[in-house]
Amino acid sequence: MNRYLWMATIAALVLIPLFVSNYGWYLLAVTMVYALVALSLSILVGMAGQISIGHAGFWALGAYASAIAMQHFAVPFILAIFVGALVAAAFGALVALPALRVSGHYLAIATLAFAILVQQVLFEWESVTGGRQGLAVPRPSLLGEELQSDFSYYYLLLALFLAAAWMTRNLRRSFTGRSMMALRMSAVAAQCAGISRARHIILAFALSAFLTGLSGALYGSLIGRLSTETFSLSASLSFLTMAVIGGLGSEVGALLGAAFLAVAPEVLRQFKDAEMVIYGVILLLCMLFLPHGLASLGRRWIFSK
Amino acid sequence: MSVALQLVVSGLALGSIYALIALSLVIINKATDVVNFAQGEMAMLGTFACLAALSALKLPLWLVMLGAFPLGLAFGALVERLAMRPLSGGPPINALIATIGLFLVFHHLAGWIWGYDPYRFPSLFSNEPVVVLEARISQASLGILAVSLGVMALLYLFYERTRTGIAMRAASMNRRAARLMGIDVGRVSMTAWGLATGLSLVAGLLIAPLTFLDFEMMVIVLLKAFAGAILGGFNSLPGAVIGCLVIGVVENLFGAYVSTAFKDAFAFGIIVVVLMARPAGLFTRRVGTKV
Repeated sequence: MNRYLWMATIAALVLIPLFVSNYGWYLLAVTMVYALVALSLSILVGMAGQISIGHAGFWALGAYASAIAMQHFAVPFILAIFVGALVAAAFGALVALPALRVSGHYLAIATLAFAILVQQVLFEWESVTGGRQGLAVPRPSLLGEELQSDFSYYYLLLALFLAAAWMTRNLRRSFTGRSMMALRMSAVAAQCAGISRARHIILAFALSAFLTGLSGALYGSLIGRLSTETFSLSASLSFLTMAVIGGLGSEVGALLGAAFLAVAPEVLRQFKDAEMVIYGVILLLCMLFLPHGLASLGRRWIFSK
Repeated sequence: MSVALQLVVSGLALGSIYALIALSLVIINKATDVVNFAQGEMAMLGTFACLAALSALKLPLWLVMLGAFPLGLAFGALVERLAMRPLSGGPPINALIATIGLFLVFHHLAGWIWGYDPYRFPSLFSNEPVVVLEARISQASLGILAVSLGVMALLYLFYERTRTGIAMRAASMNRRAARLMGIDVGRVSMTAWGLATGLSLVAGLLIAPLTFLDFEMMVIVLLKAFAGAILGGFNSLPGAVIGCLVIGVVENLFGAYVSTAFKDAFAFGIIVVVLMARPAGLFTRRVGTKV
């Protein structure tokens, strides 16, 4: 059943852009960008059981590193995004160091501190990052061809997302992924079984930061201009929120959460000042009635038949 | 020297406001294992309500100040009963997300009702500075310190002397055992939310005259309070107070002598260093876990 669900999802994702126009493509592209972040959180929070309210920091590092690689060092787009991802992953491994010693609320504040530091340094380091003025980012290009429209860019993002989702899925079933889950359930029992806690937590942070950095790099090229305001605490909180709303346990959940984060503000915009109030109420209602996320809705519906 | 003294006193005043919010966070966390991201926003919304009472009903300032705590108490208890109680027993991250939802609701509700411009908030204290050892210390700083220390003393008495306070301490030590001894754990969590919101509303009224009242006012205060509470160990009420006082003083001195741009980042920088060296905070002993 699961395989058919996946095939249907992929078919839908491939076909949807044919039925919408410019702004729709942009929203779809944003959804894919967010979905990578949601995937990264499903590894870190869902599998490894660590918390981060600083993912905007990794997102920013990926975005700025790839933009700078393209602007100053003329690195082609497709390599630059991986430069961004690797820079973020390196910092992810670094942020994992406090995570080895602290957990829960303490880890939350440590990741938060990291994101605030990143944001401030990017803001103040004007010669490299443009600081207050921001930084222009070239459009994405592939094999020398510039992807002018969000329509073509969406398909590139979709391909990257599917690759990442496939890898996350495999990770979940691999020895490494199982080890992370075992550590989440009982660190003591897992360690007694010979699983290295340090190694897996560093790995989970690095992988998670890699995907988020990749997403940041892709986001920069989608938007065309980076400013540090984008990478605030509220971005970190939105990311965590979307991952939980979608459901931390599955790749479809990541996609649903991302779609929620991308589309909900557009739908709610008509309510003007009440927009974010309604958004908050929806969050609360989701937590009350759908504690396992939107992904559990589908499962519930399929199994009730 | 006199400048340093001025900076220390105003840092202590600021720190004591952080401390009231930090106490709220710790009280709720001890009772329900939830970090309430909406704490600052609840204070901000309550402060707006007080301002409305001042300007529309023409109530005197001292009366509003006295009424603030009961108002917060009722507000917090209501929020706990409606939004948080149904989530107890679920995954902890869901409760966290729910408080983020509350944050958004209250944050934007204030903007929706009162607009996005800052309001001037009247102060109980005059602007005339007091001269001590050649340092010009503002009456507001001293007043803030006096009020918050007074509130903290009352809180201490509440926890040590009243039945409810003792029940709350018992519930935070071992919820199951407390329930077996006949303590209504649901009521404890409601009391904790009420108490916390009352305290943070007092903090809101103290800080509003300094920073102007607007819907963004409490965001950074909440973060600093969180940092201070972590510094103190997050489970210790006195630890949270000391942690916040340290943050207030240190960031004031850092801002004046080193760099204003990195003032906020600096506070968080210390936290990371402290967490690396002493993962359980400065003032709580690390307890070994039973295997």
